[in-house]
Amino acid sequence: MKVRFWGVRGYVPTPNAAMLRYGGNTCCTAVTGAHGELVVLDTGTGFCMLGDELMQGEFGRGRGSLTLLISHTYWDHILGLPFPGVVHIPGNRLDIYGPDSTRGSLQMVYDGMLSPVYSPVYGLAHIGATHRFTTISTEPFTLGRLTVRALPLSRHHNSPIWAYRVEEDGRALVYITDVRYNEAGIRDKAIAFSRHANVLIHSAPYLREEQVEDYGHSRIEDAIEVALLAEVERLLIFHHAPTRTDDELDAIIARFRAWLVAQGSSLQLLAAAEGVELTV
Amino acid sequence: MRVRIWGTRGSYPVAHANMLRYGGNTTCVEVEVEGHRIILDAGTGLRLLGEALQRNQESFRHLDLLITHTHWDHIMGFPFFAPLFDPELRLDIYGLARTQSSLRTTLVGALSDPLLPLTMDDLRAQISFFEIGAGHCFDLGPVRVRTALANHPYRALAYRLEAQDGVLTFIPDTGPFHTVLFGDERIEWTGQPTARSQSDLRKLALMKEAILELAHNSDWLIYDAQFTDAQYARFPHWGHSSASQAREIAEEAQVRQLILFHHDPHRTDDELDQIVMEQQALARPGLLVTAAFEGMELQRQP
Repeated sequence: MKVRFWGVRGYVPTPNAAMLRYGGNTCCTAVTGAHGELVVLDTGTGFCMLGDELMQGEFGRGRGSLTLLISHTYWDHILGLPFPGVVHIPGNRLDIYGPDSTRGSLQMVYDGMLSPVYSPVYGLAHIGATHRFTTISTEPFTLGRLTVRALPLSRHHNSPIWAYRVEEDGRALVYITDVRYNEAGIRDKAIAFSRHANVLIHSAPYLREEQVEDYGHSRIEDAIEVALLAEVERLLIFHHAPTRTDDELDAIIARFRAWLVAQGSSLQLLAAAEGVELTV
Repeated sequence: MRVRIWGTRGSYPVAHANMLRYGGNTTCVEVEVEGHRIILDAGTGLRLLGEALQRNQESFRHLDLLITHTHWDHIMGFPFFAPLFDPELRLDIYGLARTQSSLRTTLVGALSDPLLPLTMDDLRAQISFFEIGAGHCFDLGPVRVRTALANHPYRALAYRLEAQDGVLTFIPDTGPFHTVLFGDERIEWTGQPTARSQSDLRKLALMKEAILELAHNSDWLIYDAQFTDAQYARFPHWGHSSASQAREIAEEAQVRQLILFHHDPHRTDDELDQIVMEQQALARPGLLVTAAFEGMELQRQP
């Protein structure tokens, strides 16, 4: 199983020369199984670039199929969906899993995002690819030889935020975003869900010392604590703050790596970067 | 009048090494006349403008925001505009009146749960909404504003801003005026012109006339040039123009400088350089052809 980052920035895309190494497009991560299964975690603007790449293969001929796992429906996690050509080519197939909110089903949220006041697509009905929405549940399911588990970790206002765990042949990748460990039990659930994962992808835009409104995120220190307690192999932080430069991010990672070494920890810490592919 | 361009891209923002010179942020233009600030569109460039305003700690108390339409690329910077959270700021927002949804509902809906966690109460600035139509004329401080309708899906406004020392016309999204007539309904492109009836052709001609009148004799015309001519031929139902169509409008309207705008998210810096050279070579004498880049400033030479 391989994972590749197409968008790692949080909140809003940041086309900025000082942020290009890690990347300025918003949340989109692709997981590919050994047998070609394609699973995409969230569709921020990084999805537009993934779509361009997919166009070169089966998707360009209307014979592609992909599964989208949506954590929640904030802009930086969904707004990239309607733009790439691949979603408008008949024959392609999109299986979209994600949570309903108290304001409406996942499908209604997408339909609203594509309504003519916001989008020239004029609603979901005009997305050319065959698309199917499934309300995510905690019932594990399989995609080819991948097993997907999902967990509602927390809720920001009325929006439930789900975490995903994708497994193949005893290897596991966990994706946790937009979660604040401010209530008893949430962190314990995250730790149990991430237990012994080979890769934990965790949103962490800011440090504890930074006094900013983060709209419901945990801090880099929290992500590290969860990774340590869950005994994961590699932690990749993402959802980088829109003001964070590449050099600042390098310095943050270096600082916490030094701390981990001093603790005698074997946890590998990285900041997720656009274009980087890892074997899980 | 001093104009500064903060976002140039159309459709969606792109962070790409080959597109940084012209810029990857979506549509946002700042106009300043005698200390009065008007912002055109709220694409992701607006976030940078907000940062600059706060950095300079200028004592701005009042901003006008004119929105052409509310497609995502034109509003994606709105909740990231830091002055929205400043209770000292008065922000007047102007946009197209629609029967289907109020401007306020559209904007607040976009940043409310489950799309974002904000509510109107979180926006501490004193915000007012003004719904306007085509053919309107009003003054914002020392600036006279005129509007017209652009040829774009679900309709969009075009703006002319006129001051003593400069005239700017802003038409970021419009198709040309010969084949497809856009309105509220979605256009299903069948390879045939949609405007075939005499009445539709007449409507297109009137729309073009109003656009030419709006842009007439401008110092600067910022105009939709998303497409190449080949792309336009494939996607005439998207409501965008090619660079050569933009140039032809600029020539007919007798503007002094054309600023190609709303760059396609796949258009690289080098391609844009080439497009500008080609169009400049074709342009009638007296027309300067340029392409909008992030940070571009416009001011009449004294």
